[in-house]
Amino acid sequence: MRALPATGELCFSAMGTRVELHRFGGGAADALAQAERAIEMVDDALTIHRPSSTTALNEALRSRQTATITDPILLDALIRIDDARAATLELFDPTIDARHTVGWEALRFDRQAATISCADPIALDFGGFGKGYALDRAVLALQEAGVGCALLSAGESSIAVIGEHPLGGTWSFAIPDPRQPEATLVELELVDEALSISATIGAGSAAPERAAMLRPGAPSPVTAPRTAIVVDRSGAMAEMLSTALIVADDAAALRLHDGARRMRFDLTPAAPTRIFV
Amino acid sequence: MTDKFFDLTRRTFLDRVLMASAGGVMATATPWVAMAAGAETAGAGKVRLGVIGTGDRGRALIQNIAKTRNCMVAALCDTYAPNLAKARQWVAAGTPEFSDHRAMLDTRGLDAVVIATPLHRHAQHTFDAMDAGLHVWCEKAMARTIADCGAMVERARTRGKVLQIGHQRMFHPTYLNALRRVKAGEIGPVTQIRASWHRNNAWRRPVPADSDDRRINWRLYRESSAGLMTELATHQLQVGNWFLDAVPTRVIGSGSICFWKDGREVYDHVALIYEYAGGRKVIYTSLLNNARYGCEEQVQGSKGTIEPELGRIYQEVPHRALALQRMQADVKRGHKRTIPIGGATWFPELPVTTPGESLGWGEYDETMLQFEGFGEAVRKGKALPGLLQQAYYASVASLLGEQAMDKGEAMTWPTSLVTV
Repeated sequence: MRALPATGELCFSAMGTRVELHRFGGGAADALAQAERAIEMVDDALTIHRPSSTTALNEALRSRQTATITDPILLDALIRIDDARAATLELFDPTIDARHTVGWEALRFDRQAATISCADPIALDFGGFGKGYALDRAVLALQEAGVGCALLSAGESSIAVIGEHPLGGTWSFAIPDPRQPEATLVELELVDEALSISATIGAGSAAPERAAMLRPGAPSPVTAPRTAIVVDRSGAMAEMLSTALIVADDAAALRLHDGARRMRFDLTPAAPTRIFV
Repeated sequence: MTDKFFDLTRRTFLDRVLMASAGGVMATATPWVAMAAGAETAGAGKVRLGVIGTGDRGRALIQNIAKTRNCMVAALCDTYAPNLAKARQWVAAGTPEFSDHRAMLDTRGLDAVVIATPLHRHAQHTFDAMDAGLHVWCEKAMARTIADCGAMVERARTRGKVLQIGHQRMFHPTYLNALRRVKAGEIGPVTQIRASWHRNNAWRRPVPADSDDRRINWRLYRESSAGLMTELATHQLQVGNWFLDAVPTRVIGSGSICFWKDGREVYDHVALIYEYAGGRKVIYTSLLNNARYGCEEQVQGSKGTIEPELGRIYQEVPHRALALQRMQADVKRGHKRTIPIGGATWFPELPVTTPGESLGWGEYDETMLQFEGFGEAVRKGKALPGLLQQAYYASVASLLGEQAMDKGEAMTWPTSLVTV
């Protein structure tokens, strides 16, 4: 039997949920603390529930002013979202516009000058991106601290793993069916990857302050019962893709899903458990 | 429903409640119920009651008395003539009326009096009635001061008269069911009761031209009332003591006139914590500008919660072993398996919204039962056991809470109380 690695764990509240960091073997003694700090820095930068770089930016955008982005985390987040536009078929859009007439495409984002502006009043909400992005930053912090095996969770709907399972091989996860939480919807194997789960039903979807899933340009939330599951090297990309899959129409969903790492499930009561679009 | 059928139904219910608990626990916790349930019907002649105070509450009591099979209203008394006029419709024609309670007490033919006057008059009316040889049923709270509450108990003892206070929850079928289920251990050890009585109104009555504000709105003035504490909280503090089977060790609280700044003297907003042995607590709030949570007691144990006013019992949702914590344990013992994460079904610590189950109902009116119990006590010349102690301690708790808020300091349970 192989020697078991040293373990450690850290649980705390951030990004509006419970974050768990589990490390196995190797690395600096304060690696978990560094990862926690990385997540808190993302939370501080991207939150819209207390004063932050994002709320300051939103104040400027709402009044049609050009905002200079001085927070490096916020700038990095905007660049990642901008870079992911094509991959998500422009279906992930963090802009909030009460009239639903303009979106990300209306923003003038100059990544070199670190400025952003819009002719119309608009604001940004990083839900559907933030947790995955925070896990990416924490993964980086752990790796830089020498950790080669770890599991990170933000609310159990965003997961990232570093390396193989501490006992060897892949990390295996069972994803529950939101209609029937004791039943498994799908099992997935991960190594050095991130997992994101989005859904329009389930306990979390009824939570206060939970933003509705909006299709860009559409005024109404997506109400069809569905869940999307995406595995990707990047937690941020997994998060954006799972959101895009939720809001996609059938044609777009077919282009986005691959049946193995990008999936969307129809969760109408009569639907079989495993139905792709 | 015939009297016989009604009696059978009620007795069946009460027998079931009283006998259901192992070792007679319920009979010990509610010694008054068995005697009240066994009240004789009118065969021996109805107990004749004189009602002092025929305002809103007094008239409601008169209507309840009219439903009983062993009591009748034989005289009415109120210092305000319009109240007497309104009460007349609920009693037999020719029922004597008085504006002075002493005059009513001087007439012969009464067995007991029912007191539904402003709080600060309860003690004197009780003394006068007992000195006249009558038993007393008195509205809660008992009196305006702790000393007067004790004096009422003492007077009943020295005069050998029944003194019963109107805490109808002690007869309420849902509360009895709730207590039975607590005693049966269905919600585990009760460590906290969160009680509230929230209304959204001024609690102020219109003042007729022939009266004055302090007379009509006596609940709003310190001389005559402790406001929310004596008029509302005392009911729920009785429930707290009853369900925790103890009296508080001390109370801390904060009171304010927070919303209705209309010249009233009593708080319109109170928040108190009553501490009990073993770290248990009753947390009480009452306010007059938000009715969202209404009147309720939430009896909280480690296995469940009972909300008597809603008539519901809720079991705790079993704690789900956190998947990732279990994964850690698995790794430590060299065991690898699929990790069942919560996914989109997971959310931290929202209030549980399971519908719960019905506590079970009983088909009788609790206020009527308490009067039938009182009638039986008067006939036998022996108080329903346990009732007065519950009422006395509830009144003391409410008045002690007022002191804690007024002084801004913790008040310990008095050691000088009279023995009931």
